[in-house]
Amino acid sequence: MNHAVISCLHANLAAVEAVLDDIDSQGIQTITCLGDLVGYGPQPNEVVELVRQREIPTCQGCWDEDIIDGLNACECSYPSQLAERRGHRAHHWTADLLTEENKAFLAELPMTLRRDKMLFVHGSPNSQHEYLLPDMNAFAALERVETAGAETLFCGHTHQPYVRELRQGSIRVKVQQRDQGAPTEQELELPMRRIVNAGSVGEPRHGRTKATYVIHNDNTGEVTIREVDYDVAKTCRAIVDAGLPEVFAWRLSQGFEYAERAEDASHVCER
Amino acid sequence: MERWALVSGLQGDLDLYEQIQKELKQQRGVANLFVLGDLIGSQRKCNALLERLRQPKRADLQPDCIYGWWEEQLLAECGYRGERKAEGLRAEQGEAAVGELLASVDADHLNWLASLQFGFIELDCALIHGSSADVGDRLTGDTSALVLLDRLTRLDVNRLFTARCQRQFRLELSGGSIQSHVKDHAGEQQSEQAVPKRSVIGIGGGRHYTLYAPATDHIEFRIAGGPSNASGRGFG
Amino acid sequence: MGQVCLISGPPGCGKTTWALQRLQQHQGPCAYLRLEGEKAAGLEQGEDSGIDLTWLKDQVPRLEEPATANSTDLEQDNDGLTLIEVQQFHPPSKEGVEGLGDDVRSKLEALQLHPDPLLHFGRDPELPAKDTLEFSKLESWHTSLSGCVWDPNSLSSFWFELVNGAYGDVYRAKGLMNLPDGRAFFCNWMVSQESSQFLPLDATAPPQGRPSRTSELVVQGKALNPEGIQATISDCLLADDVLAMQQQQLQQQQPTSQG
Repeated sequence: MNHAVISCLHANLAAVEAVLDDIDSQGIQTITCLGDLVGYGPQPNEVVELVRQREIPTCQGCWDEDIIDGLNACECSYPSQLAERRGHRAHHWTADLLTEENKAFLAELPMTLRRDKMLFVHGSPNSQHEYLLPDMNAFAALERVETAGAETLFCGHTHQPYVRELRQGSIRVKVQQRDQGAPTEQELELPMRRIVNAGSVGEPRHGRTKATYVIHNDNTGEVTIREVDYDVAKTCRAIVDAGLPEVFAWRLSQGFEYAERAEDASHVCER
Repeated sequence: MERWALVSGLQGDLDLYEQIQKELKQQRGVANLFVLGDLIGSQRKCNALLERLRQPKRADLQPDCIYGWWEEQLLAECGYRGERKAEGLRAEQGEAAVGELLASVDADHLNWLASLQFGFIELDCALIHGSSADVGDRLTGDTSALVLLDRLTRLDVNRLFTARCQRQFRLELSGGSIQSHVKDHAGEQQSEQAVPKRSVIGIGGGRHYTLYAPATDHIEFRIAGGPSNASGRGFG
Repeated sequence: MGQVCLISGPPGCGKTTWALQRLQQHQGPCAYLRLEGEKAAGLEQGEDSGIDLTWLKDQVPRLEEPATANSTDLEQDNDGLTLIEVQQFHPPSKEGVEGLGDDVRSKLEALQLHPDPLLHFGRDPELPAKDTLEFSKLESWHTSLSGCVWDPNSLSSFWFELVNGAYGDVYRAKGLMNLPDGRAFFCNWMVSQESSQFLPLDATAPPQGRPSRTSELVVQGKALNPEGIQATISDCLLADDVLAMQQQQLQQQQPTSQG
């Protein structure tokens, strides 16, 4: 049966509505959300309330966590002072605007969601801040899925959708223990595992302005990456009307992220 | 031929430390001493050992120390780790053990312990108490090869020396591969990745310590006060 | 007789680049002067904030300014070369200095400079014509950045936004920017070019505190958003404490000098 996975909504109401319409038009009833409902975008309350109203199971994203816990990530999260200042401005604006009820909702979100052999996370099973990029070390990628006890791992955070299949893996080892005689040799056959990145609804970074999400068939395993048009200009107007930096509207309209991500995607800030 | 001595789990035992220092002087070419954490413990007063590590005697091989699981518990309990306390120690050994740990280390050593690094990277080798995932990560010769490879990959080193499990072993990744197929908006890409030739070495703990020669990749597992178990052949 | 050569042209056509080549080829003493030509309706001159002179003097250290040099000497010195650069949107309406407006004529008279030849980009074949654009309407905005030091990655982001239209339709942008390690960069972009130039100046300041040399930004285009540009610049510049910390880190990374 088909189910949809959406991620990184970033308070972009027009994009969220368009994606939900697209999902509804295909008769898909099960939707899972991988967090970052808020952050940078102009409609945090509206987006949270829409997710709540639709009762979409959601795991907590890094922005959702920051709103609840306060900013305490290390500076390496941002590659420049400009990106950091914009991020902090957006954070404080969002935190000031969100209602207590919506904050309470974000605070209650679980770190991960599990259904059958699927695991749903924002960044990685280890952290909301870890990026699982499509070209990360294949064995490390497999370790993330396997250690989490899943066969398919759904993640977001990078804002670039992809489907990665890791197969026909094996590792040979030679082990020498201190009180043993000769070393022993073993071969570990690795199972086939998948990582599916749902992209971003509200802040696409794949080079175009369309919102992205994924559809997965949990019988056949087939994954479709969907791109959905939405009224970008409407969100841009909302950004300006809300008093957020006007340059955010320009960046969104050009298909750029609001603030650049640090290059060292493997870094996980130690709080 | 320059060799490293790798020691851990002294847990305040100054006599053991002096024994090891004496043996190292009798060995050929030992130029560096790395103490991979667990300098302290709850079972004995640790101050004399800490003073000796901080201010070595002239004849001592200078120790380079990193922090380990026990240091992490103490520092957390004393407020050096934000909100966290010594939850690991409490869970494993109970409240009494936390009290004993606090009593075994004078407060004027705390800042020095807090200044210790998580690990060293030397000549493509990582010297860490547990792993880069966590100071308490127990890596052994029985740990899944996939996990061990991940721990090596995180640091991007050829050799990972770990002490947490207190066992002496060498696990060498000797072969294997995996295929990766990626589909995204740009199309599809297929690639194959080989398992790199890397090793994880458990250096032991307490009386058990290890000598390593970076140039020849030769390992010697030793027991302080015992005959040498020179069973470590260089696989490299 | 020493040569006095005057070149004119619209913004971004390559006057300073051509002047640099000419000066670098010249062996003897040389001087440079930048003036603004005839005003045209709807076309704002880019403010002369000293960017071009600073850049040229960095690349040609022996370069003088005619007001300071004894310009009569340079004219009489067979080896002397005086280059005058005039920003002028349209080809001069008349021959000679008369075609460049009263301001230029009176300044040249005061300095006793008699340029010959007078060449205009887009008209005279001796000059390259590839970057000469027709402007019907042009706004201009500039800001002093004296004493300001940029966070390097922020400068990259800001420049990318600026030349790609985040703050209006920018046809031309040029600036001299300071970095925390003591280097300064001449940043130059023209809409007809594929990419920006980021050219480091030869002269560097010690990585300590704020440099006192010329630092400016000039932007020309349409529907410019000065408030937006200024707001972003403010986010890119380093405050005293952050600058001190970055410079301290840079000093710690320096190899220790041999005793």
